[in-house]
Amino acid sequence: MKRSKMMEFGVGLFMLAGILGLVFLGLRVSGLGNGISGETFTLYADFANIGGLKPRSKVTLAGVQVGQVADVELDQEWFEARVTLKLDADLEGKLPRDTTAAILTSGLLGEQYLGLSVGGDPDTLANGDTIRDTQQALVLEELIQQFVSNMVRE
Amino acid sequence: MSDAMLVDLKGVRFSRGEKEIFRGVDLQVPRGKITAIMGPSGTGKTTLLKLIGGQLAPDSGSVCIAGQNVHRLPRRELFRLRRRMGMLFQSGALFSDLDVFENVAFPLRVHTDLPDAMIRDVVLMKLEAVGLRGARQLMPAELSGGMLRRVALARAVALDPELILYDEPFVGQDPISMGVLVQLIRKVNQALGLTAVVVSHDIKETLSIADYVYVISDGQVMAHGTPASLDVDQDPRVSQFIHGEPDGPVPFHYPAPDYFSDILAERAGS
Amino acid sequence: MNLVHRIAALGRGTLYLLESLGRAGIFLLQSSVGIPSREGWYLWLRQMHFVGVMSLAIVLVSGVFIGMVLSLQGYTILVDFGAEEALGQMVALSLLRELAPVVAALLFAGRAGSALTAEIGLMKATEQLSSMEMIGVDPLRRVVAPRLWAGFVSLPLLTVGFSVVGIWGGYLVGVEWLGVYEGAYWSGMQSSVGFFDDVGNGLVKSLVFALVVTWIAVFQGYDLIPTSEGISRATTRTVVYSSLAVLGLDFVLTTLMFGELG
Repeated sequence: MKRSKMMEFGVGLFMLAGILGLVFLGLRVSGLGNGISGETFTLYADFANIGGLKPRSKVTLAGVQVGQVADVELDQEWFEARVTLKLDADLEGKLPRDTTAAILTSGLLGEQYLGLSVGGDPDTLANGDTIRDTQQALVLEELIQQFVSNMVRE
Repeated sequence: MSDAMLVDLKGVRFSRGEKEIFRGVDLQVPRGKITAIMGPSGTGKTTLLKLIGGQLAPDSGSVCIAGQNVHRLPRRELFRLRRRMGMLFQSGALFSDLDVFENVAFPLRVHTDLPDAMIRDVVLMKLEAVGLRGARQLMPAELSGGMLRRVALARAVALDPELILYDEPFVGQDPISMGVLVQLIRKVNQALGLTAVVVSHDIKETLSIADYVYVISDGQVMAHGTPASLDVDQDPRVSQFIHGEPDGPVPFHYPAPDYFSDILAERAGS
Repeated sequence: MNLVHRIAALGRGTLYLLESLGRAGIFLLQSSVGIPSREGWYLWLRQMHFVGVMSLAIVLVSGVFIGMVLSLQGYTILVDFGAEEALGQMVALSLLRELAPVVAALLFAGRAGSALTAEIGLMKATEQLSSMEMIGVDPLRRVVAPRLWAGFVSLPLLTVGFSVVGIWGGYLVGVEWLGVYEGAYWSGMQSSVGFFDDVGNGLVKSLVFALVVTWIAVFQGYDLIPTSEGISRATTRTVVYSSLAVLGLDFVLTTLMFGELG
């Protein structure tokens, strides 16, 4: 069987391009290796309503991404949403105990993310602690409902 | 079964859909001889070769080659048996993506571990025998029909088979290449001492090379014998075929209702 | 009486269908199982060229255009809600989950599938397959298997390529032309696209489509009636059957994969 270098080269290039494409989809598109590539520590936060927050939503501090939501589950006792956060290990033992977590929306209808803002408590949060002060998601329907009922009352 | 018979068909029945093609064919091919199978077109001669080659399985009856029942063999054994056979297809059936040299080298490459230099020697030898050593770089599409068949013959004998099956080797050939093919088949047989089965309806050419002839018609063996004995056979069906008479026991007309009533019926209907 | 005939015809059709499926199944098994020889690897490589590399141009060009259109349409809808930041996520998710696997498979069926059917069919019509059998080489292993595996490997790679150039095309239109903020395009994408949920499931889809399309193509080629009419019919059947199979299976797979993600 005659072998053709050009053809072998073409197929090799094709396979290589496919693998590179997959790497691109992994890193650039689905953001693997973003934010939480290195060491992390875990915090919990309970919310009355998380709106559209999902696992892999980002967690920001002063607008900078510092981690992401690892898990969302329902607390069967209090019927609240318990959100597990994975944060950059550099922040472990640096966040004050009265740090607040709020569910925010980028843009009017954009993705929802979790924004942290720090307080002034000298004590700090350690791995596995729970953030006490939380602010639930803004749900558009509730806002509208409030607005409408206010209008009616007036 | 006697050792002198390489191929032995016993009571072979085969049908395709509703149509019964063979209704109990008994046929023996003696070792080292050229056996011709003849018959009008449409009698399933090619089908018979495919039954011998194990590409089709009979509904009943048996096909034995060198004592092995072809259709009882597991797939792997069947393919091993086929290495001892060569088949020359009507169209030549060369691999269109390989050139002449690689076509002839193909069986050697897949079935032997010969080094390239030796494969080259064998291929050139086989091509020389069919007179196409100079055409080794051509692609099958560049060859004429007669040349295609000669290359196919070289490929069929590349592994020095014991049995070679020719499917209509003379169809559609001009007189010169027909003569070349007749001579080649005879030469190959004598030189290699192999057994050959020739399926054909070219009476003159076939009778000139065959040692023994079977005539098949209506799904059965109608007559068999040496070319000389068939030539003087008294059976009207045999003599019609052998002497090529247009009408006789094998009718000129395809079965149809009566001519006049058919025409009248058409008129009445319209 | 008429009813009896119709029921009989239905039964005949069903039996015929089951028989074809059975034959196709045995065919797939016989041609795909087995360890390839060195020669086999090379045959596979050649088919990778024929099936994969030669389909690259049409798949990539279509991918860019689809990504561009998606971005343009998405922008006009999203901008009404002031949510054009979600453009990247919309483009990426539509491509990865649906458009890339499905459109690439449809293009592949038209470009490579029909060619495979015609090629194998022509080999059958010119008795090349028969003569290969008589030489003692199994055409299922030598002719069909390399094509089957080449198709199975090529289509997922083509699908990846389709997604990548589609996302790039979306970027061109959305960011460079319509002026969506670049950071939002990528970060919106990254926060909503999951590697296993979206990229992975899209790949699983395209593996299934690859198997089905190539299987249909080589089987139609191997099983056709060896006349010129038979070849043209089988080629048409390859494209029709594989398109239907891809679209139908896509619905089933989507239900299984993304049904609960809602």
